[in-house]
Amino acid sequence: MKDPADRVARFVDDLLHRRRPRRFEATPEEAEAMTAAAGLASARVGADLPDKEALERIHARLSGALDDSPVFDWRLTRRAWLRTAGTAAAAVVIGVGLDEIARGRQQPTGPGDLGSATLMPDNGSWRPVAAVSSIPPGHAVSVTTASVDAVVINDSGNISAVSGVCTHLGCKLQPDDANRKLDCPCHQTAFAWSGKVLYYRLKASPANLPRIPSRINDGQVELYIV
Amino acid sequence: MPMPELRVLGPEPEPVPDAMAAVYPDWESVYHDNIVGTYQLVFRKVGNPADAEDLAEEVLMHTLKTLRLPAPVPTVRAYLVKTARTVLADHWRRHYAVRDAATELEQVPLEIPTNPDAAERAQRLLTLLPDNFRSILELRFLRGYSVREAANELGVTESNARVLQFRALRKAAQFEREVLR
Repeated sequence: MKDPADRVARFVDDLLHRRRPRRFEATPEEAEAMTAAAGLASARVGADLPDKEALERIHARLSGALDDSPVFDWRLTRRAWLRTAGTAAAAVVIGVGLDEIARGRQQPTGPGDLGSATLMPDNGSWRPVAAVSSIPPGHAVSVTTASVDAVVINDSGNISAVSGVCTHLGCKLQPDDANRKLDCPCHQTAFAWSGKVLYYRLKASPANLPRIPSRINDGQVELYIV
Repeated sequence: MPMPELRVLGPEPEPVPDAMAAVYPDWESVYHDNIVGTYQLVFRKVGNPADAEDLAEEVLMHTLKTLRLPAPVPTVRAYLVKTARTVLADHWRRHYAVRDAATELEQVPLEIPTNPDAAERAQRLLTLLPDNFRSILELRFLRGYSVREAANELGVTESNARVLQFRALRKAAQFEREVLR
């Protein structure tokens, strides 16, 4: 393997087999060819998308490293300070220490990881809202019934549903499948498919989207609603 | 019939002026909104899932340990891209002794991809190449042929196919720099 063409061919072989390529000292010419090969390895649709396991591993490692370290800056902007001051006041009432907030464990005001509410209507029943086949994996579809606006999500075959209405002022959410989120058209706010607030342009975080119980029955997605 | 009086349970969050961009409240939000884009961004520069996973994690980890949240969305995204450049340059330098990777990466516009356009872009790049260069790269990268299969298809020796592939990739890199920017 002394010839540049051979070494680059081996590098390309590794990429095409989705293996971590062997390391070696590359000449500038080889490096040039190798960077092009890396780009072309994305040429097959979906080749550059992470699988679910990879995402879970990354999330777990970030979680391990970040959840114990302070990420809060006390040199705050005025706006953030006011927001925090409000939370601090609330924290006193519900008995949460300020240091908990400082560690970023708490949302400034929204429920954050404290969870999304689940819609449980008093007189609910399972009602079909869409054919499973009409929602391909990786897609979210808005459905409207007499009682709710919902978004049904197919995440790699796992079906779930959340409220389709922004928790801020009630605008109808628009699915952005490419980025696996639901956008509020009104105030630049977005929710993850799980219902969690991703970002917002509001003075305080809106609540996470309520989840709606869902199941598959006889090829239909059914929601537990009124 | 008079309208029943609506009881206000608490102040609704109000929209803030346009000047203030949307903000990420916590690291989980940054993660959820950017992990796929960051992964795609680095994948396109390393070409394999194992390295892409490690580097995407490194980019997120460094960004989240450095930036203080809540932070505006554009600030976080710009920082992610800047970090990705550094992390990628370091990767090429450490593993392949590439010294000028940083300069090279500076020239390539790195953005958190907002749509799955990598395939389209790579395929467009192929259409720009001369026929024999395009053929070898299409057989290898789009149809997954081995060097031997590609050589058979093109009626050349395996050794010639490897040389053709090497030249085609260098040409593709030049087009990538000069044409597709």
